[in-house]
Formats: sequence, structure tokens, C-alpha cells
Amino acid sequence: MTTLLDITNLRKQFGGLTAVNDVSFTVAEGETVALLGPNGSGKTTVLNMISGAFAPTSGAIALAGEDIAGLAPNRIAHKGVARTFQLVRILPSLTVAENVIAALAFRPNHLWGQAARDRAEQLLAEVGLGGRGDEHANDLTYIDQKRMELARALAAEPRLLLLDEWLSGLNPTELRTGIDLITSLGQRGMTVLLVEHIMEAVRALCSRAVVMNVGTKIADGPTADVLADPAVIAAYLGDGHA
Amino acid sequence: MTRTILGFILVALGLAALAFLPTQLGAYGVGLLLGMTGYVVLASAWALFSGPTRYVSLATVAFFGIGAYTVAVLSEALPYWAVLLVAAGIGLCVALVVGLATLRLAGVYFVIFTFGLAELIRQLVTWYEVNVTGTLGRYIFLPITAEQIYWQLLGLAAITIAIGWFISRSRLGLALKVIGDDETVAAHTGINIAGVKLALFAVSATIITLVGAIQAPRWTYVEPSIVFNPTISFLTLIMALLGGANRLWGPALGAIPLFLLFEWLSANFPNHYSIILGLLFIAIVFVVPRGVLAGAEDFWKRLRSNGEAA
Repeated sequence: MTTLLDITNLRKQFGGLTAVNDVSFTVAEGETVALLGPNGSGKTTVLNMISGAFAPTSGAIALAGEDIAGLAPNRIAHKGVARTFQLVRILPSLTVAENVIAALAFRPNHLWGQAARDRAEQLLAEVGLGGRGDEHANDLTYIDQKRMELARALAAEPRLLLLDEWLSGLNPTELRTGIDLITSLGQRGMTVLLVEHIMEAVRALCSRAVVMNVGTKIADGPTADVLADPAVIAAYLGDGHA
Repeated sequence: MTRTILGFILVALGLAALAFLPTQLGAYGVGLLLGMTGYVVLASAWALFSGPTRYVSLATVAFFGIGAYTVAVLSEALPYWAVLLVAAGIGLCVALVVGLATLRLAGVYFVIFTFGLAELIRQLVTWYEVNVTGTLGRYIFLPITAEQIYWQLLGLAAITIAIGWFISRSRLGLALKVIGDDETVAAHTGINIAGVKLALFAVSATIITLVGAIQAPRWTYVEPSIVFNPTISFLTLIMALLGGANRLWGPALGAIPLFLLFEWLSANFPNHYSIILGLLFIAIVFVVPRGVLAGAEDFWKRLRSNGEAA
């Protein structure tokens, strides 16, 4: 398998606080990898650096061999990285279809007009929002907003999809649907890096997991092994439980 | 589609009627019409940038004055059309430099900067005129009638509103809406936010510069305190806000009644003009913060939903 994402000695300092401390890991083409860790361990900061929201203090982020560390988010988006946000971010004054067209219209091989509307409808159908393009994004329920956000990320035709707790806040039925949706993306060859707290989902979706604690990587390997690792259990539950 | 064509025909007919209006009016009427059209363009051009980005610019008069001064300096050296071209070019260059330097500023910092910019340019021009050329004012003797100025402004108004219409239907228009909703999402979907803002600021500033240049022959005599008068920036802003800076016809709709009102006020209450202006400013921001057009739409929606409920 070829490496799509190669992170080396990534570091992010906010003043005196080291949020991410020399983290290195890779994601292979077509793989679905989980980035785990307790709250405040630096997972979202890593996603933010990959997508360009923050520039790293030091370290390298290579996408298919090309260094993207420190580029502006719109440049990184054009290199093929799309993301969803921990707190769902919709464009409230636009319709559902326009939310997706926003991504179609500004990707490198952009679509516009009828072609964009058709493709948006197709993508919305894929995430379970078929025929609802004319509704206002603001009127959607939480799960539907998450669906729409995923459709918008997919509209960019990314090489790497970053999902930041995309499954959190869903009820058990919605969670099942959500897991199936991400599974189908993996089956189509999409490379996914996801931050997630729901272990059921991580076990179902990810062949590999990387675990962080207080900014450092503490485990990296097949999901089942990593989740049984005493160091990981200690990080999540405290030393007494390992 | 048929609605669009119908709209075009209506606008074309309206323009034709407006173009004939001077033949029916006396000199005072034409002057009034000219000033009003000038403000329609200023408010519409201001809203091109400030409406969707919500960056409140007080630099209107900086560009307006640059346009007027370019004409004052070059009117005897170059043919009129070339002077206009040079003015537009200077406005564009200044806008690009200023835009690159300031569009990273957000909110109130941008407002203060643009206000300061207008003052800075005024002081620079004054300093130059006093110390280098040794005069303060300049005379403009161009054989251009009030009617001709009016027609140019009318044409510019049509172009400005047409640009607004094209932008609203283009990818640039969508980019603006996305930026207005959420800049983080905009950046992560691949929109070059700084580029979009800069492009819009430049277009808006170039049009404003042209308004100053086209109106300059009307004054015959210009000096910095006339053409860099900050009241012009404030009037433009308040007109666009009254009509609705996010609606295509909003700024024009705000400019017409307010211009007439200000004319009447300055003729009848010359001493209290500024006080009334300030009060009006406050009232508009409080009562119709999103503009009359948006307010009317909300009212209409509420009326309809009440009707359905009953």
C-alpha cells in the first residue's frame, strides 16, 4: 500500500503550552484510520494542522509526497484534503443544495450551473438527503446537518477525508446509519482519518488506530491491539485500571 | 427566464425614460438629478463590497476625491476620456495596495483604518498643494454640461447595478455568501477569501473613483476640503444601509429619498443639518438594521404566515 499521508515530528505550541508534541504517523491510500485519545490530547489540533486551520510550529505533513505543512486552508483543500468539523458547521443562509454547491464550485475542476446542481443532488442522495436540496440548511435536524456537511466534504472529491467526531451526538439508529455511510466510503477506496470517541464505531470502521495523550503519540497499530494496550487504557481511565 | 427578460426590458425602459428626464427639467432640476444619480452610484458601489463582506468602509471619499483631483490636475493635459481612464487606473491601484494591507483587519479596525485613510489622503494632497504647487485650490474648465455629466453618471449607475446582478449569479457571488456565513468553511472548501475580498474592494473603489472624476467638472473649483469631505462617506453608508446593502436595488432605493431629504434639510436648516444627519443615522441603524427592503420582506413573510395560521 502506498502512503498518502505522512506526518513527521509534528509539533504545535500555543505560547507555553505544547498541544502536539513530536507526533509522527502515516495513513495509507484507501485506509480508514482512527485518531484516538482523551479530551485535550491534541487530536483536533492535528486535524487542524493537516487541513491548514493552524500552521504547525515544526514538523512535516506530506500528502502523497508533497509537503503541505503551513499552507493556507484553501490551498490544502485544492490539494485534496476535505474535512468536517467537531461542531457541525453549516452555511445557514443557504439552501441544502447550495451548501454542497459551495464545495463543487471552488474545487480545482469546479462545477457550476446545472452540472453543479445535478452533482449536488447526487451527493445528497448518497448521504440520505435525496430530494431535500431546496430546504434551508438552518431547518435541518442535527443528523441531517451532519449528513449535509459530509456531502459538502465529499463534493470536493478529496483524496483524504478528515472527520472530526462526525458520529458524536447521534442516537443508536442514526449511529448505525452513520457507520454504514463511512463504511461505504471506505469500500469505494476513500482514505479517511477520523477522530472519534465512540469505540463501537472505531472498531467497526478502522483497521488501524493512532492514540494520543497530552500531545504525544502513545500507541499506533491494529485497532484491537491498540484498544487492549495497557498504556491506552491507562490514558483513558487512569492508572488504576490498567 | 421570462421574468429575467421582462426585468431587463423594464430596466431598459426605465433607463431610457431617465435619460430623457433632463429635457423636461430646468437647470436646478438637472442639478438635483445629477447629484442624486451620483449618490445612487456611490451607494450601490459601496454595497458591492461592504454589503456581502460586512466590512464597513469609510474610504468612499478617499476614492471619490482621488477621482476629482485627477481630473483637476490632468484636465488640461489629456483628452477627457483619457483623464477618466487614468483616474480609474489610479483608483484601482490605490484600492489594491490598501486592500492588500488592510483586508486582514476585521470589524471596527477596518472602519477606523478606512476613515483614517481618507483623512491621510486629504492631508497629503493639501500638503502637496501648499508646499509644492503653492496653491490650495484648482480650477477645472471643461466644456461639459450638467446634462452630459448626468448621462455619464446614469450610465455608470446602470453598469454598477449590472455588475451587482452578474456577481449575484456568479461563483464570486456564491463565494461571498459562503464567506458571509462562515469564513472557516469558506477557506476549507477552497475559496481564496483574501482574493475575493480584494477583487470586490477594487471593483467598488474603481467605480467610486469614477464618480468623483465624472462629477469634478461640475464644481469648476476644487480644493481638498470639498472633495475629501468625510460627510460624503457617511451619506453613502447611510443610504446603502437604509435601502439594504445586501439587495441589488437596495442602495439605489435608499439613496433617492435620503438625497432629496438632505437637499431639503441643507436648504432649510443649514445650521442644524449635521445634528439632524446624526440623529437620522442612529434612527436608521436602530429601526431598519438590515435595510428597508429586507425589513419589508420580513414584514410580508410574517403577514403571509399569519394569514395561513388564521
